[in-house]
Amino acid sequence: MASRYRDRVPAIEVHEVHKRYDDVHAVRGVSFDIDHGDVFCLLGPNGAGKTTLTEIIEGHRVPSSGNVSVLGYDPGKGPRALRDRIGVVLQSAGIQEELTVGELLEMTGRWYSKSLPPDHLIDLVELDAKRDTRVQDLSGGQRRRLDLALGLVGDPDVLFLDEPTTGFDPHARRHAWSTIRNLCDTGKTVFLTTHFMDEAQYLADRVAVMVDGAIVASGPPEAIGGRDELPTEIRFALPDGMDTGVLPALPDAAISTDDGVVLVTTSHGVEAAHAITGWALASGTALRQFSVAQPTLEDVYLALTSQSVPDETEPQESR
Amino acid sequence: MTTTTTDLKLAAWQVRYQQRSFWRNKRAAFFSIAFPALFLVIFGGLNGGHLKVRGDLSFVDFYTPSIMAYAVVLICFNSTALIVATLRERDVLKRVRTTPIPGVVYGAGIVGSMAIVLLIAIGVLFVIGVPLYGAHVPGAKTIGMLLTLILGAAVFTTLGIAAAKLIGKPENGAGLITIITLPMIFLSNIWFPIDGAPQWVQDIAKVMPLRPLADGLQSAFDPRFGGTAIMWRDLIPLLIWLTIGAVLMTWYLRSLNRRA
Repeated sequence: MASRYRDRVPAIEVHEVHKRYDDVHAVRGVSFDIDHGDVFCLLGPNGAGKTTLTEIIEGHRVPSSGNVSVLGYDPGKGPRALRDRIGVVLQSAGIQEELTVGELLEMTGRWYSKSLPPDHLIDLVELDAKRDTRVQDLSGGQRRRLDLALGLVGDPDVLFLDEPTTGFDPHARRHAWSTIRNLCDTGKTVFLTTHFMDEAQYLADRVAVMVDGAIVASGPPEAIGGRDELPTEIRFALPDGMDTGVLPALPDAAISTDDGVVLVTTSHGVEAAHAITGWALASGTALRQFSVAQPTLEDVYLALTSQSVPDETEPQESR
Repeated sequence: MTTTTTDLKLAAWQVRYQQRSFWRNKRAAFFSIAFPALFLVIFGGLNGGHLKVRGDLSFVDFYTPSIMAYAVVLICFNSTALIVATLRERDVLKRVRTTPIPGVVYGAGIVGSMAIVLLIAIGVLFVIGVPLYGAHVPGAKTIGMLLTLILGAAVFTTLGIAAAKLIGKPENGAGLITIITLPMIFLSNIWFPIDGAPQWVQDIAKVMPLRPLADGLQSAFDPRFGGTAIMWRDLIPLLIWLTIGAVLMTWYLRSLNRRA
């Protein structure tokens, strides 16, 4: 019955978690739930308390007050049954350097009650050519891909990814993303921290932004911080010698010019775009660099975090 | 299968992986096997004589067990301390903690692997000492020798794991560990008997853990001792040191595992 109860509750529950150090209040009353199969992304500047919160959920630290449960277990107690069902990809993870990629995946797989075959994992992270290479001879990016494979070896229900694609080249990043996406489609819950907004945008079902130890906004990446209700931005460059006075009337629109590029900001994006392009076609005016866009996740993130000054007050990992 | 059986199997697998890892580090392999063997070859070859202070004991009968004790220090203390410090500094242990393998099973893999290394080193020294240089075969005294050896290995393994705490960066660890062990090695009848040294030097030597290990092993090769050479004189201090080592090791491993 216990296990059935555990599958009914959210995959991760964080309730009123505080973490205080002598003179630092690193996490200030954070609460959220993550449903089974969701990709949850925690964003925030350095020193916001992200790492502390993540380590509490992973069970490396215990909160000063509040409750955390992962798959129905208290991660602070670190029960084996829980560790058997989670995978953790740490930011700076150590690997026994004298062993080969294949040996490491085989060895680590034995630690779990069920595990994925090494060849399958090697294929998944595209390290086929490196199966018999010792870890000490891998490049930085190859090591990170091995990290990902090691996090997946126990076929976990919940996967923690701490900046999983830092140091990847664009191709490897795209591939890692599609790998993670495929994993989510098999019902895995993913807790992701990243510095890359495009990564959060591509992968996350839900994003939370942490500033000064508290969550200041959370929601789907398309809607976080009221992003879906923010005005549309239309940009284009007019031919030389032409100014914005020639444009048709655009109700409820703010028009500005920066370095020859006109920016039209309006809550009636479709109507405005129609009016501008209709006018351009009718008058035979060439509009270069024409684009219509919603504010990006990065714009919203920067607005949310601009009040806070990044600092390095995050406590060091104790030995 | 019960959890215990599964974990024993897992520990056996860990020993295999740790063995592979160990022998691929050529430096560690050299210092554990070739280094003590070279000592015995050189000392045994240079000194064909006898030790007056030990009732005309031949030098090879003295050096064979002495270098065996030295090998225990090199492998169980020096190498183990360096391996544990390296695993900690590279955050390997941090990763291991996120996985389901119990710390005890992971540790058993390392200790089991070092036991195999020690067994090989002792075997090599035995072959050099006995058939090559004609040291006295211990016979029934093998029992006393093995008992001392097992206890001594346990003492230095627990102390070695605890000593990992003293090592910051593993690159500087080898030097630091040598500074800890060298004075003890000099005072413990390893390079030469200190039977003639002043009483206060003898007193310091007696409270250190290497002295009873060296003395116990030497008794097994010394024709003046008979029977099984089970030397309580040496086994009791070793048991006391094992208790101290176990406490220090547990204390260090707990601090390593503490959640902030």
